[in-house]
Amino acid sequence: MYASLLTRRYLTSKVMPLLAAGAVALCTLMVLITWSVMGGFLRTLLDSGRTFVGDVRVQWPTTGFAYYEDLVGRLRKEPTVAGATAMIETFGLLGFDDGRMDGVNIRGIDPATYASVADYEAALWWKPIQTPVRKDRKREDLRLTPEWRTVLERVYEDGLRLAEMDPETGVLKPAVVMGIEVSGLSERRVEGFYTPREMGQPTEKGGVRMSRQFAPATSVNISVLPLDTKGRSIEVSARRMPVANEFRSGIFEIDRRTIFLPLGALQRMLKMDEAVRVEPGSAGATGAEDLPFGAGADGREAFAEPRVVGVDPARVTSVWVRAADGVTAQQLRDAVEAVYAGFARDHAGDVPSAELMRLNKLIATWEETNAVLVGAVKKETVLVIGLLFVISFVASMLILAIFWSMVAEKTKDIGILRALGASRADVAWVWLRYGLMIGVVGSVAGGLGALAVVRNINEIHEWLGASLGVQVWDPKVYYFTQIPNKVDPLHAVIVLGAGVGFSVLGALVPAVRAARMDPVRALRFE
Amino acid sequence: MSDAATNSAGKAMLSARGLHKTYRLGRVDVPVLHGVDLDIQRGEWVAILGASGSGKSTLMHLLGGLDRVDRSAEDGKPRGVIEFEGRAVHALSSRALDAYRSEAVGFIFQFYHLLPELDVTENVALAGMVRRGARSAGRADLMARAQAILERVGLKHRLRHRSAELSGGERQRVAIARALVNRPPMLLADEPTGNLDQATGDRILDLIAEIRAETGLTVLMVTHDARVASRADRAVRMVDGRVVAV
Repeated sequence: MYASLLTRRYLTSKVMPLLAAGAVALCTLMVLITWSVMGGFLRTLLDSGRTFVGDVRVQWPTTGFAYYEDLVGRLRKEPTVAGATAMIETFGLLGFDDGRMDGVNIRGIDPATYASVADYEAALWWKPIQTPVRKDRKREDLRLTPEWRTVLERVYEDGLRLAEMDPETGVLKPAVVMGIEVSGLSERRVEGFYTPREMGQPTEKGGVRMSRQFAPATSVNISVLPLDTKGRSIEVSARRMPVANEFRSGIFEIDRRTIFLPLGALQRMLKMDEAVRVEPGSAGATGAEDLPFGAGADGREAFAEPRVVGVDPARVTSVWVRAADGVTAQQLRDAVEAVYAGFARDHAGDVPSAELMRLNKLIATWEETNAVLVGAVKKETVLVIGLLFVISFVASMLILAIFWSMVAEKTKDIGILRALGASRADVAWVWLRYGLMIGVVGSVAGGLGALAVVRNINEIHEWLGASLGVQVWDPKVYYFTQIPNKVDPLHAVIVLGAGVGFSVLGALVPAVRAARMDPVRALRFE
Repeated sequence: MSDAATNSAGKAMLSARGLHKTYRLGRVDVPVLHGVDLDIQRGEWVAILGASGSGKSTLMHLLGGLDRVDRSAEDGKPRGVIEFEGRAVHALSSRALDAYRSEAVGFIFQFYHLLPELDVTENVALAGMVRRGARSAGRADLMARAQAILERVGLKHRLRHRSAELSGGERQRVAIARALVNRPPMLLADEPTGNLDQATGDRILDLIAEIRAETGLTVLMVTHDARVASRADRAVRMVDGRVVAV
């Protein structure tokens, strides 16, 4: 009972214990903020695979592989698979009407099946919304406005089907969906939404005219480099396409560098669509020495038909698979490998063998595919947290020093307690309890502070940027547009527990010293 | 055995025989007590009189269980015997000695030794908490008892004050209240008036006398002042670690 009374009084009547509690609070705050942001960064990074591309990828880069529909069909029958989709992943050039050119990652997707592995629908940005983004208190997001509703409903539909309907003919034309940071036409506001950016346009008289351009109302030129089955370039294939919509994944690198095209359109551009195979050397065939003309049945000169010997099926460069609930990426990869083995057996000679895929690690989880980046982030996280725990140990030493001097200061109190009949263990417990209290007060204060900071870290960051011009979290460097702002309860428990533990540890040596103190000497202490 | 120390008849409440105590200062052993004998009867007020360094405080610490007698270098046995109501205090375990200090004796010191962070009532209740902490005595009960004894020593108006807000005499009254809150049979007072002016010191001695008369308290008082010692039933003089006269 008296230990509680003394602890309370010592804690509230002296500056030193408050300083010690402050040191614990700062350490707890620092470790928890860092762990939350770094851990959140890692978690977001790992989740990004699942939310935007899938869990496991089967790939045969560049030239791709055929019979993918069969593979997708087989995978969909697997109970471990929630969805599978075929995709072409390639590079290309994107040309804008103002003359800008940019290198981009082009993904040819089938929107219907792509939705089964990724949250494509949710990622489409331009669509009518009812609820403003959190910081848009003035409801300035044009997606909220009724006058934009019709336009936004149309571009949303266009985005979902990756096609734009000609308003006059009613014919659907393939269209592109760009990452929202690709074109530079959509400007991100600090409130968290995008508005059409005001851009300078050259006039006929050589001047500049400022105007806002709504990205889905523009068209772009896309250039890709088709390759033959040996990986040799054929010729540049270019096409102008309207922009159907833009998407925002929250992963800066994807939002800045990725565009989606309809799979069929990209296959045709890359010459990966289905094509008849002709006999080499026959009339009309590539590389034939014969003249492409001959006598027709009516004796008149006519085109000589090359001899068709088969069909080259359409190809894709990858198949992405999403795991069913409760299935880990590794379990899914093993299942996909097994499915692929059967697929490769049935298409032996036409698709890469299962052995080749395994040896070249071409069936891999998203984490394995991005092992370098993920590994670096993991190591960095462990390193930083390790360093911070060392700093916490230093705080423990600080508490030890403070307690050591407080025990010296309170020597007479120790003598009094012993004279009143307190045992050595009682005296030790007074100081350990004191350390415990300082740990609890400091850790809880630090934990609450960390919670407040982490939850508002994006606002704090924006305020720092606006008022001091400081941008710590550059999305170009850190991959994501938002700083992770969630505190993992388990991490919080560990950090707060460590804060209390280090405090008790710091109090341990002074507590033993106090307990071993000779009561007579303590009473005579001046 | 010294007759001077054991002049009382009958079975003593507290009995000391052949007490030796040596302190080590650096590398030097400094003998403080050289075979002290003393008997104190129940209800008796005994003053131990002596000059500074004569060993009187050391004797009080041994009798109060704050310190232990020397042990023989040959056989490790205690060099001296202390018995309190038939119990061998010198042979008690640490835990039993803690209980002895808590239950059998109450200390008051020259410099009061109050805890500055606690108010007057809490300082007094602290002794009860130490004694009964493990048994979870009701805090309210202890505080009520502390307040009652503080009223008895004339500090009803100071219950919530801190020690820094009290005069020397008031502080010593608080110390007396703290020493007696557990109702011990014996009060050990080390120079209780040594830090007070004469008038205040006299009032403290009057208070001790009154309480002794009311409760039958046994008092052992260490002092260097013959005038103070004269308030006791008898005085024992110590010189150089030995009891030399009554």
